[in-house]
Amino acid sequence: MALLSIRNVFKSYFLHGKRIDILRGVSLDIQRGELVSLVGASGAGKSTFLHVLGTLDAPAAGEVLFEDRPVFSMNDAEIAEFRNQTIGFVFQSHFLLPEFTALENVAMPALIRRQDRTGAYAYARELLERVGLGHRVDHRPGELSGGEAQRVALARALVLKPAVLLADEPTGNLDPATGEGIHQLLREVNREQGITAVVVTHNETLARSMPRRLRLAGGEVSEA
Amino acid sequence: MHSAERQTVHRWTFIWIGALVALVGFSLLGVALTSSQAWLETSPSLGLSLLGWGGLVQALNALLLVSEQPVAPVPNTGLLVAGAVVWLAGWALIAAGIRRAPASAEGPSPAAGATLYPRLARYRDFYWSTLGAYGGGMLLAEVVLILLQTVLSSGVSATELGAAGKGASSGLSLPPTGAFAIALLAGGMVAFISGFIGASRAQRLSLPEATIGVLYLGLPIPIVLTLMERLPGLQLALGYRLREVTYVAGLIGRPELGYWLVFTFLVLALVLGINTGFIAAGSGRVDLKLGFELFVARRHVAVFRPSLLLGTLAVLMFGIIPPLLIYFIIRSAEAAVERTRIRALGLKDPLAAASDLNRLKLREQSPTMMMTALSVGGVGVGVMALIIVLSVMSGFEADLQQKILGTNAHAVVSKYAGDLPEYAKVMESVRKVPGVVGQTPFIINQVMIASEGNVDGVIIKGIDPGTVGEVTDLPKNILGGGSLDILYTPEKIVHRGLPDEEPAEESGVEEDDIIRRSGTPKKAPVLPGIVIGRELAASLRVVVGDRVNVVSPLGTELSPSGPIPKSRAFRVAAVFYSGMYEYDSKFVYILLKEAQDFFGVKGATGIELKVADIDDARRIASQVVKVLGGYPYRARDWGEMNKNLFSALRLEKLVMGIILSIIIIVAAGLIVATVIMLVLEKRKEISVLKALGVPDGGIVKIFLAEGLQIGVAGGFLGLISGLSWCLFIEKAGIKLDPDVYYIPAVPVRIEPVQTVLAVVIAVLVTYLASIYPALKASSVEPVEGLKAE
Ligand SMILES: Nc1ncnc2c1ncn2[C@@H]1O[C@H](COP(=O)(O)OP(=O)(O)OP(=O)(O)O)[C@@H](O)[C@H]1O
Ligand SMILES: [Mg+2]
Repeated sequence: MALLSIRNVFKSYFLHGKRIDILRGVSLDIQRGELVSLVGASGAGKSTFLHVLGTLDAPAAGEVLFEDRPVFSMNDAEIAEFRNQTIGFVFQSHFLLPEFTALENVAMPALIRRQDRTGAYAYARELLERVGLGHRVDHRPGELSGGEAQRVALARALVLKPAVLLADEPTGNLDPATGEGIHQLLREVNREQGITAVVVTHNETLARSMPRRLRLAGGEVSEA
Repeated sequence: MHSAERQTVHRWTFIWIGALVALVGFSLLGVALTSSQAWLETSPSLGLSLLGWGGLVQALNALLLVSEQPVAPVPNTGLLVAGAVVWLAGWALIAAGIRRAPASAEGPSPAAGATLYPRLARYRDFYWSTLGAYGGGMLLAEVVLILLQTVLSSGVSATELGAAGKGASSGLSLPPTGAFAIALLAGGMVAFISGFIGASRAQRLSLPEATIGVLYLGLPIPIVLTLMERLPGLQLALGYRLREVTYVAGLIGRPELGYWLVFTFLVLALVLGINTGFIAAGSGRVDLKLGFELFVARRHVAVFRPSLLLGTLAVLMFGIIPPLLIYFIIRSAEAAVERTRIRALGLKDPLAAASDLNRLKLREQSPTMMMTALSVGGVGVGVMALIIVLSVMSGFEADLQQKILGTNAHAVVSKYAGDLPEYAKVMESVRKVPGVVGQTPFIINQVMIASEGNVDGVIIKGIDPGTVGEVTDLPKNILGGGSLDILYTPEKIVHRGLPDEEPAEESGVEEDDIIRRSGTPKKAPVLPGIVIGRELAASLRVVVGDRVNVVSPLGTELSPSGPIPKSRAFRVAAVFYSGMYEYDSKFVYILLKEAQDFFGVKGATGIELKVADIDDARRIASQVVKVLGGYPYRARDWGEMNKNLFSALRLEKLVMGIILSIIIIVAAGLIVATVIMLVLEKRKEISVLKALGVPDGGIVKIFLAEGLQIGVAGGFLGLISGLSWCLFIEKAGIKLDPDVYYIPAVPVRIEPVQTVLAVVIAVLVTYLASIYPALKASSVEPVEGLKAE
């Protein structure tokens, strides 16, 4: 049983009466614990695909199954819980909440889950230390650099130990050394927690270092 | 694709022109109706017919064989027809405009035949159970309200009329207003709960269901009640008891207004219920926890900051200009000092100086912050005005009540007809009724009073000076430290004037006595005493010791020249001042015994009672009647005796309350604007929160909490400033023109219930006002905000 299966997913945009097909019947299985990289030209639809996987965007047709359960037939509460506990998402830009400190941002998913605040903060602090930001916990997003904010976002995605991590260019803003550190971290959580990760990247070396590589082109996904 | 675009444009032109044409037709219709003066009569029926209720109204009218007033002839038939045709044509145009759907310009999509997006496939347009819950809930709420009102308030008439029979129903004898309050609350609860259940079953707001339910199940009862007001026949047909329901509506003067106000209240309760149900259980499970949502909401609008609260409070207390001036002076002074310090610092440590300068700049406030402060201020002003005005009006009411009760008894026991010769025995029985703390017999009559200088019509009361103090403040109100006991010893009344005038007057009296009191046994040459009010003394131009003549139009005496009114001379024994012009100018008091004599009354007219708790007077009065064995005895409490006065006051208060609530509604508009601004500002954050797993209900909760924060802060500030203003008015006192008012200063009386109610209304209104923006916020899709970078 595949952890995630994507069945014949279509996604198009209509603009000025013109149809732009982004995904044309993508079908794909991702097993539990796999580390997958996704590459493709800019504008190919990688982010769109990742959003569909993470239930943030609905496909025009087709299905996404998580453990054989169609995610888009869940009701509002179930979908919210699914996003909260099963998926960890790192957006292409960091999307941290500006009113909250780095620590609070990282702990946010746990607070949404109504976990106890002290426990959540303790684990969030630990995660921030692991991404190398132990000295920036009380900074607001406006007081962080782009790369730092991206790392905070990664920590936020990991705070509830999700089954799936969907990361949209998590190392896009990082210098090679820090980027390598992040990859190291990804491999670690993969090993420790058996997390399944789909990572969009433009970094060829990183893509090649992943056990499974996918390429998105012409609205279709192929193994590369 | 070009064609598709142009078709869309065409569509809108159609719709716009159609709307304009329909508007023209509607105006033509209006003109036709107005010119025939039929507008006023037809508009309610038209309105009801538009909602599909024309049939019911017609049927009811026909059923009761009401002779319809002949509808005014329509002279402008041509105009009417033309208007109707144009109106219809407009709608036809609109329909045509909508039907022109753009044709698909492209071939079949590659996804044709793929499974439909499941959420779409599962979508249901209509929930019959929800419709049942909403409509049935409204209906049930109305029925509950009417039944409760009837049951609770009919207890009064049951004890009063059938006092001989049962005594168990006395517990239900609530005044109609009290019963109404309870019934209204219960009805509101029912509406709220059904809204809650309906929304949580459908897991969405289900506005079509709500509209249909309210229109078709909620409307009939108010319609029937309104018709009932117009058709007394129907009112009789539906039974006497239902009249109790109309009692409260009648207090407002326009009963139908009362029904529709109540109906609106129930609809609001339903809406609140629907909303709460959607938030709490709309996502499939009941989730009443708020911790996380409040955490986020507090960061978004930091209302509870001392600077904001104090600033708004200052504005409420002292007006806008002075606090603003002070604020700017302080701020600029502070900034100047700060800049000087930073410059000095900069010479030593440029790094620290730069950072400090930065912090100084960051203190500028965001537009949302300003909007928030404005909204808080708006709600605060509304609540403050409401509290002050209601408290002053209560003050007037309390003052009036105190003066009325000071001069009048709390309740009066009398017979339906005739005097009360056995008053001593009755007093003996009444004494045993718990709650009665004083009683005194009295005789009341209307007479003319004449002095040398003037003549006036007054009410004369025979009193028992020994017990009258138990019931009224009369002994305390005597001016110049006098006492009522002087009535027993009229010979001790100090005569006024020059010593040589006295014998002359004395002799004159004796003459009079001989002539006029020929029927009564000979009395001592001393005149009996009379106590009159200060205003009356002024208008009669008499003082203590002067002589006045009292003329009764009722009993006549025979004289050589035929029957003449009975007349008797009294000497002013004391002057009282109650503070009520009515009493000070219209009441005079003599001894009970004199009055018995004068008016030929055996015993007394009745007995005045004082009770321990004036709000309990009504119940105690009916208790007293029961003890006395019912008919022919009766007891009326002060509220019943001064019904018109107090109901007029209440009505005034209600109207003021409604008018002032409009301020709060305006403030609610501000809140809607503020929360909408917040939602627009936070679109990205909403998307992120949703992506992190906050369900729709959670988003609604966050933004409702933001609106509520404004409401609570505003209500709180309004409460504080309103109460302080009240205290200020009470302590400092606002002088009133003594020529116009009978009270020296504006009275204030802070009633806790009504004060709390003002705050609760404000908070409720802000809650209602935030519903729409909060729902808008929850409908933001995650991708929407994530793209907007
Ligand atoms: N709302 C929209 N309406 C129309 N077209 C859109 C919309 N959103 C995205 N697109 C288009 O869809 C395509 C795919 O976008 P997407 O963000 O998935 O690309 P991407 O592969 O992530 O690119 P990048 O590597 O630059 O991030 C783009 O060409 C974009 O122009
Ligand atoms: Mg992208």
